[in-house]
Amino acid sequence: MESRASQKRAQRVPLLQRRLTRAVVQALFLFAFLALFVVSAVRSADAGPARLPFLLDPLVVLAASLSGRAVLPGWGWAALGLALALGLGRVWCGWLCPVGTVLDAFSIRPRRTGPRPAADRLRFAKHFVLLTVVVMAALGSAFLLFLDPLSLATRTLSVAVWPALNYAFGGAQAFLYRFGILQEPLLGLENLLRRAVLPSFQPYLRLNLLVGLIAMGIVALEGLGARFWCRSLCPLGALLALVSKLAFVKRRVKQNCISCGRCERICPTGTIDAGKAYESDAAECIMCLDCARACPVDAIAFPAAQAPAARQPYDAGRRDVVGGLLAGTALVGLFGASSERHDSQNFLLRPPGALDPEFLDKCIRCGECMRACPTAALHPALFQAGLEGLFSPLLVPRLGYCDYSCNRCGQVCPTGAIPPLDLETKRLWVNGQAYIDEQRCIPWTGDGQCSVCEEMCPVPVKAIWLEEVEIQREDGARFTVRRPHVRRHLCIGCGTCENKCPVSGEAAIRVHVAGAERLQARLIGSGRGRGAGQSQSGERAEP
Amino acid sequence: MARLCSVSPERRHLLERVGAIAAASLLGGCRGAQMASPQALGTEAAGVSPTGPAEPSAAAGPSSVAATPPVPEGAAYLAVARGPSPAAITEAAIKAIGGIERFVKPGYDVIVKPNICVAYYGPEYAATTNPEVVATIVRLCRGAGARRVRVMDYPFGGTAADAYVKSGIKAAVEEAGGEMELMSRVKYAEVDFPPESVDIRRWQVYTDALKADLIINVPIAKHHGIATLTLGAKNLMGLIENRPLIHVNLHQRIADLVTLFRPQLTVMDAVRILMAHGPSGGNLADVKQLDTVIASHDIVAVDAYTTRFFPFADVDKVGYIRKAANMGLGTLDLDAIKIAEIAL
Repeated sequence: MESRASQKRAQRVPLLQRRLTRAVVQALFLFAFLALFVVSAVRSADAGPARLPFLLDPLVVLAASLSGRAVLPGWGWAALGLALALGLGRVWCGWLCPVGTVLDAFSIRPRRTGPRPAADRLRFAKHFVLLTVVVMAALGSAFLLFLDPLSLATRTLSVAVWPALNYAFGGAQAFLYRFGILQEPLLGLENLLRRAVLPSFQPYLRLNLLVGLIAMGIVALEGLGARFWCRSLCPLGALLALVSKLAFVKRRVKQNCISCGRCERICPTGTIDAGKAYESDAAECIMCLDCARACPVDAIAFPAAQAPAARQPYDAGRRDVVGGLLAGTALVGLFGASSERHDSQNFLLRPPGALDPEFLDKCIRCGECMRACPTAALHPALFQAGLEGLFSPLLVPRLGYCDYSCNRCGQVCPTGAIPPLDLETKRLWVNGQAYIDEQRCIPWTGDGQCSVCEEMCPVPVKAIWLEEVEIQREDGARFTVRRPHVRRHLCIGCGTCENKCPVSGEAAIRVHVAGAERLQARLIGSGRGRGAGQSQSGERAEP
Repeated sequence: MARLCSVSPERRHLLERVGAIAAASLLGGCRGAQMASPQALGTEAAGVSPTGPAEPSAAAGPSSVAATPPVPEGAAYLAVARGPSPAAITEAAIKAIGGIERFVKPGYDVIVKPNICVAYYGPEYAATTNPEVVATIVRLCRGAGARRVRVMDYPFGGTAADAYVKSGIKAAVEEAGGEMELMSRVKYAEVDFPPESVDIRRWQVYTDALKADLIINVPIAKHHGIATLTLGAKNLMGLIENRPLIHVNLHQRIADLVTLFRPQLTVMDAVRILMAHGPSGGNLADVKQLDTVIASHDIVAVDAYTTRFFPFADVDKVGYIRKAANMGLGTLDLDAIKIAEIAL
């Protein structure tokens, strides 16, 4: 009987309206997104696909092109994303977006669908966020793109999820390895995962907790209403909402509606309004088609070629434009005049090829570079580069050195903020300069031999040389130590020395930014870094 | 400081036995042990070698090398083969010291340990062991009936997966029937060192290297800023953790590694050697083509012989060679042993 009923329903509900259909599409796109995220760290793989999700994101392409003062290569993909919204409304949000999919999966049961006062009051906020993003981008800052859903999702995966996953895998493996019968399968699994999915080393990434908590917070907002993020905060959602006002296909309620209210209660974004004969706003509808399935009388249709959707009180209005202009201008002004921009920060090391402050004009804080870095050397900044530098990548040598055989970060960076240097150029790039702390370095203090820094220095003619010095100990014994010195002109600031220094706590050799600017200028043949970044991104081929 | 404990444990049972041996040495006062922990050594002047005589003058002889099959009748103690084909000279050198069957028995689990220290350069830069030399050894082991031949190292620069590919060793080894092992975290454990070990008492090591039936050490001869040369004994550092701390008393601790791992066969790759800017290299100008391979069961003899290729080095400059010999881990007396010189 049950099977007959479901059979009947299957006949009645068109394929597109079935719950399973959308779930499958969402899962497939989430899987594809994860697959591309995984690929970004596979060094032998082409980096192009890893950038693809961002190029499909019209907000990233628009804002990064504005803030970087150059049309992002590959912008054609974003046109595709916009065309999709122009044709079918916010299907991106309902069917494709990884954040939307995760929110659907985590939605609190029973789902807080339908109109939700808290969520609906803030509907306007996403327009304000969007306008602020765009104003800031127009004024040259990509700062707020950390709110873009793809940036958010990738950053969460890079900084929080993947390191935790790796840690959990390591812990489970160590536990299960005690059981002899499991050892071979465990090692086989690790061999499989280490080459492709999991990192080679356990990444210990800064801010992993903060980034993870933010993601959990966004999920928790589901408690205020389903798709709270998408209804009220997401700037990409706002951009697609604007375009969807003009969408070719829109939801309509037919005459045979019996006003049962089922559609209103099931709508995840709460845009179906009982007060307006159960009509909805095309800008808020994510085209999930749940209402069509729920309707007992087939009163919901999605006809083509209609007039633009009506204006709503929460739509972007003068208030949001003025607010966005004021907020964006104020932030850009405050950032520009911040002490962090003026005050050279001693340990503000960036990925190879990136130069502050221009770097921040293009960096969307997605953390793709942090995933791609094989040695977990890149970490999200908190306030090291000012609030403006929030979540932008820092090279932290004590936690991971810049691998001399790697140039992956520049290849996967979706906006060219980290220029795609070829390996030979990257090997010459000066990230910073190593300085020895003679008060703490083992041979300098006479505590013993060491010189690990010299051994592991990767440049062909080592940037560290050893001076043989005979010193006398307190008890009168004379002995010879080899004290390291840095050859200024050869040091590229990769931080391998700082990473490997066996002194506990802060390394006795540290990479500083001091002196780097001069060498970078020499390397790129110009007084300013801006030119280097532009010429490099200009070389990037159109996909 | 008598060195009376001539321990010859089977490799495979070493793990179980080292604990008992350590206890026995404590009870019997086998030798005046320096029981300092690695951590404590980091802060004292353990690494500083006073200019006075400090070396124990124990009699060193080939017989004290543990668990090594004896040199067969007619075979050489050490073989040096020269010729244009790395595969041919590797095979010839091993044949001259008794053939691979002297070391590999059917069903053996063999670990081949080349030097794959960085992921930066291909084999022409002589920073990593010649892939043909490694692959030839793998092929010989398989031919002798080895059940499993694993090749591994833990690079200090870049990831192992990248270094395996870049060095050319992965492709060559897999073609020869061996497997590349990415060294797994779960296989490291802190173990007691044998009582012959002078400075290291316990250290984190790759336990599979102790469980395997045979370790074949395949270093490449290179300049090294701190150690002067990186040779056979130094190559064993790829099997341990906390490597920066080894440098605190580098030469002694490298010699101590030999007491634990006891590679039964060392095949020195001197096809190309690195004359300067080692161990990572990066200049073709520093690379010297010697087309030579040296093989022996005696890691000390191989290392001592190899120093001849470097005008700036000898067994005293490369301190771990002399120390290992003084600990009875091999011989420095190259005039007293039978050396086969082969030209192909």
